[in-house]
Amino acid sequence: MKLQLEKFGKTLISRELGSEAFKAFQPTLRELPRDEELEIDFSGVLTLSPSWADEFLSPLLNQLGDKLLLLSSDNLSVQATLRILEEVNKRPMRIKS
Amino acid sequence: MEEKLFTIGQAAEYLGVSLNTLRRWDESGKLVAIKKDGGTHRYYREKDLEIFASNLMKFATEWIEDGVEFPGTFYCATSSIFNARLTKLEYALMQRPEFKKLYSLITLITGEIGDNSFAHNIGKWPDTAGIFFGYDLEKRVVVLADRGVGILETLRRVRPELPSHVAAVEVAFTEFISGRAPEKRGNGLKLVREVVIDHPFNLFYTSGDAEVRMKGSNKVFRVTRGERLVRGCLAKIEF
Repeated sequence: MKLQLEKFGKTLISRELGSEAFKAFQPTLRELPRDEELEIDFSGVLTLSPSWADEFLSPLLNQLGDKLLLLSSDNLSVQATLRILEEVNKRPMRIKS
Repeated sequence: MEEKLFTIGQAAEYLGVSLNTLRRWDESGKLVAIKKDGGTHRYYREKDLEIFASNLMKFATEWIEDGVEFPGTFYCATSSIFNARLTKLEYALMQRPEFKKLYSLITLITGEIGDNSFAHNIGKWPDTAGIFFGYDLEKRVVVLADRGVGILETLRRVRPELPSHVAAVEVAFTEFISGRAPEKRGNGLKLVREVVIDHPFNLFYTSGDAEVRMKGSNKVFRVTRGERLVRGCLAKIEF
C-alpha cells in the first residue's frame, strides 16, 4: 500500500495535526494485509516538521517495524526530520531511493 | 505629487489595532499622526506605517517584557491561526528564487519554535494566550515570542532539579526530553539547533535570563546568562 502524505496537507508542522492525521489513518491501516509493506511517499509535501512526524511516523514505525518503507525525498525538511526521528526512536528507518 | 494619506480607520486596519490604540499612540508619541491645517482628524503616511510595523524585535521584546500592545497583524491567538500564517510565509518564501532551496527549513524552524509555544502553554498561559509572529523577507528575519511560562518552568515538571534558566534551555536544545512527559515529545528544538548549525541561518533565542546566540560561519551552540529576564520565550531567526 502506498500513502501519499500530502493527502494530510502540504505543510505538516504541528503535533496536534500530526496526531489527528495518525488517528484518521487508522481505519485505512487496518486494511493493510499482514505481509504487505506501507510505502510513504513525501512528494508534494512542502515542509515536514519533527513534531508532526513524531506523532505520525513514530507510532507507525512502532506498529509496522520493517514493513514501513519511506520513499526518499529531496526536500530538505523531510531529510532533516527523518534523520532526527531515527535518533529519537533509536532505530533506523527503511528508506528507498 | 501629493502623497496619499491613510485615514485613522485605514491605518487601524493596516496595523490591526483599534482606533483608540492609534489615538493613544498618537498622544504618547509612539506613532504620531498628521493633522491637516490644524484640524482634529488624524492621518498617516503609508511609509510611516510601514516603518513603524517593521520593527519586529522591538514589538516582541516590549510585549514579553512589559505587555506593551503591538499591531494585531502579528498576533496569533491560536495554533490554527499560527499555522495559517506559517503557510502564508512558506508560500511567500517559495515565490522568491533566493529561498528556493531553503524555504522548507525556514518554515520548519519557525514552525517548531511557534508550535512549541502553544504545545507547552496550553491551559497554562499566565495572562495572554498566543504568540507574536512577524517576518520580513526583505530583511530576512522571522521573530516569534510568547508570554508563556518559559522553558524552565515547563521542564521542571519533569526535571524538578533543574537549577536555572540556562540549564533548562541547554536541556531543551540538546536532550530528548519533554515538559509533557510521559507523552513523547521534545525533538523540535534539537532539530532547530542542528539545522541552524548546518545552514546559513542565525538564531537568537531567549527564555528567562538564558540566551542562545548562534551567528556567523563558525556557529557553536552555547547558552549564556543574559542581563534581561524575559517572560516566556523570544526567538529571532535570520536567514
